[in-house]
Amino acid sequence: MPTARSAGFAASLLTIGLTVVACSNGAGTDRAEEQDKSTASSTRPSDEVRNTSDVEPESSSTPSEPAADAVVIEVKQEGGTIEPLGDTVKADVGQQILLVVDSDASDELHVHSEPEKSFEVVAAQDQRFSFTIEAPGTYDVESHSLGVVVVKLQVS
Amino acid sequence: MTHSSTQLLAHGVGGRSDLPIPAGYAYAAAAAALVVSFAVLTLAWRSSKFSGNAGGRPLAAAAATVVDSRLIRVPLVVLAMTFAAWVSMAALFGPASLVNPTFGSVYALLWVGLVPAALLLGPIYRLCNPLRWLHRGACALARISPSAGVVPYPARLGMWPAASLLLAFVWLELVDPATATDLTSVTLWFAVLGAVLLLGAAVYGDTWFAAADPFEVYSTLVARLSPYGRTNKGTLVVRNPLDNLDGTAPSPGLVGVVSVLLGSTAFDSFRESSRWLRFSQQYPDDTMWLNTITLVGFCLAVLLTLTGASAMVAGIGHMRRRDMPNLFAHSIVPIVVGYVVAHYLSFFVSTGITTLQQLGDPLSLGWNLTPWAYELDKYAIYDHPTAIAVTKVVAIVVGHVLAVIAAHDRAIRHLPRTQALVGQLPLLVLMVAYTLTGLWLLFSS
Repeated sequence: MPTARSAGFAASLLTIGLTVVACSNGAGTDRAEEQDKSTASSTRPSDEVRNTSDVEPESSSTPSEPAADAVVIEVKQEGGTIEPLGDTVKADVGQQILLVVDSDASDELHVHSEPEKSFEVVAAQDQRFSFTIEAPGTYDVESHSLGVVVVKLQVS
Repeated sequence: MTHSSTQLLAHGVGGRSDLPIPAGYAYAAAAAALVVSFAVLTLAWRSSKFSGNAGGRPLAAAAATVVDSRLIRVPLVVLAMTFAAWVSMAALFGPASLVNPTFGSVYALLWVGLVPAALLLGPIYRLCNPLRWLHRGACALARISPSAGVVPYPARLGMWPAASLLLAFVWLELVDPATATDLTSVTLWFAVLGAVLLLGAAVYGDTWFAAADPFEVYSTLVARLSPYGRTNKGTLVVRNPLDNLDGTAPSPGLVGVVSVLLGSTAFDSFRESSRWLRFSQQYPDDTMWLNTITLVGFCLAVLLTLTGASAMVAGIGHMRRRDMPNLFAHSIVPIVVGYVVAHYLSFFVSTGITTLQQLGDPLSLGWNLTPWAYELDKYAIYDHPTAIAVTKVVAIVVGHVLAVIAAHDRAIRHLPRTQALVGQLPLLVLMVAYTLTGLWLLFSS
């Protein structure tokens, strides 16, 4: 059927054109269009939390000033609920990630990286936990006592 | 629920996973899928050219004899039985923690592993199925033939039992994370499965396994995409996978099996997204119900859209609507395989390696029977996000291409010539929708 054929051709040309445009744009902009992303990758070595091969609870570090381009995540735990509740946060490989926690109960925050990191939360305001992730991927930060995913870290 | 210090996090517990695919890849793949769909619709052949089970080049007699011989088959069966027995031992006597290899064996090695095994080796699950062998052993003791049953299996039930049991399995795997990593639940689930399958085989004979065993049915279906098959006379042949796919018997319940497979993989992808987490985690006491309803909803959505699209094809071609969904359900199989590859690839590699390590010490007594597994870096795959993203996108697009071709050929075989093109449109649109959904899920994970 001639009409179907020409329609098919036109559609094919259109989609080929779209493909070319998408490829050239996509490669450049897939980083830029992401929202939560902090400023571009830091070259400054960030504070490494001690990495042990076993899970070791770590208490709040004295609030060393975060690097200017650290990713700051505010976590609020109150009355059995926690915020955020599964948001995605983007970070770079090796970029400092700072959890600022206000809580009214004790808890453990687990970062499911390799090795797994565990932070002990007490009932206090402004507790700070700093770490970096050295390999790309998506990592869950989970509240152990509530059994929920607090934040999904997309590290690339 | 206590965490162990090992990193195996059975599917369902938060852990490390892939980055979402970049937007550019998603657009390019979507565009490619659309281009191919239009191209096949307008430019492809006009008369059916796939020959189903009749086609294929016979394997050289020597090769066929070897493959069919005891030399190959016995070790394969022994390996499968040993694996099953080993994991059963771990499940019954091993520790109830995440170091137990049961979880990885079930969710990675068995559930995901049977896909590449079927693609590469054909329907070997049917050969190696431990329950079939148990049944054969019991029949030998009772001096009855394995295929003899008390009543004949009602053909109109087709694969619906398998579809239901597949749904039960994905429920176990995906819905309640606590259930997925609770050793008692997993062990109980398989005990009940074994009972259902063995009792059914006692009643209906061993055709029950081909109708109800979820893993056998899944494996045999995926094996229709492998290059090996048998003709109706039993000759072992090498054939074009599309010819092979064309020979899938349109049995009742095929559409159900395909719906559960596609719907559950899509749900698995969806439930890890921030969007779903933000919603469902607000109701911690109702998480199980929310997840159950959504899982069933995804499977039903596939079932209804596939049935609806097939019915529209039937309407255009003035054919019986009731037969249509199973006539076209086989063409969704490549899309399912594409989804499975895209979603489970890194999980399979990393959890698979971890499980191989754990299988060396199933009872947590300090054994080390698989030292070679510790030489493998289970997280190495995550260091190549670009390669992973490309593989995912290629898998989805290739699955889509094969699906469109398979549906095209089936449609022109059954539709009158004048309606051949228009008649395909509902299915084509449906497949584009499935593929775009898959890409969106990968992008927004």
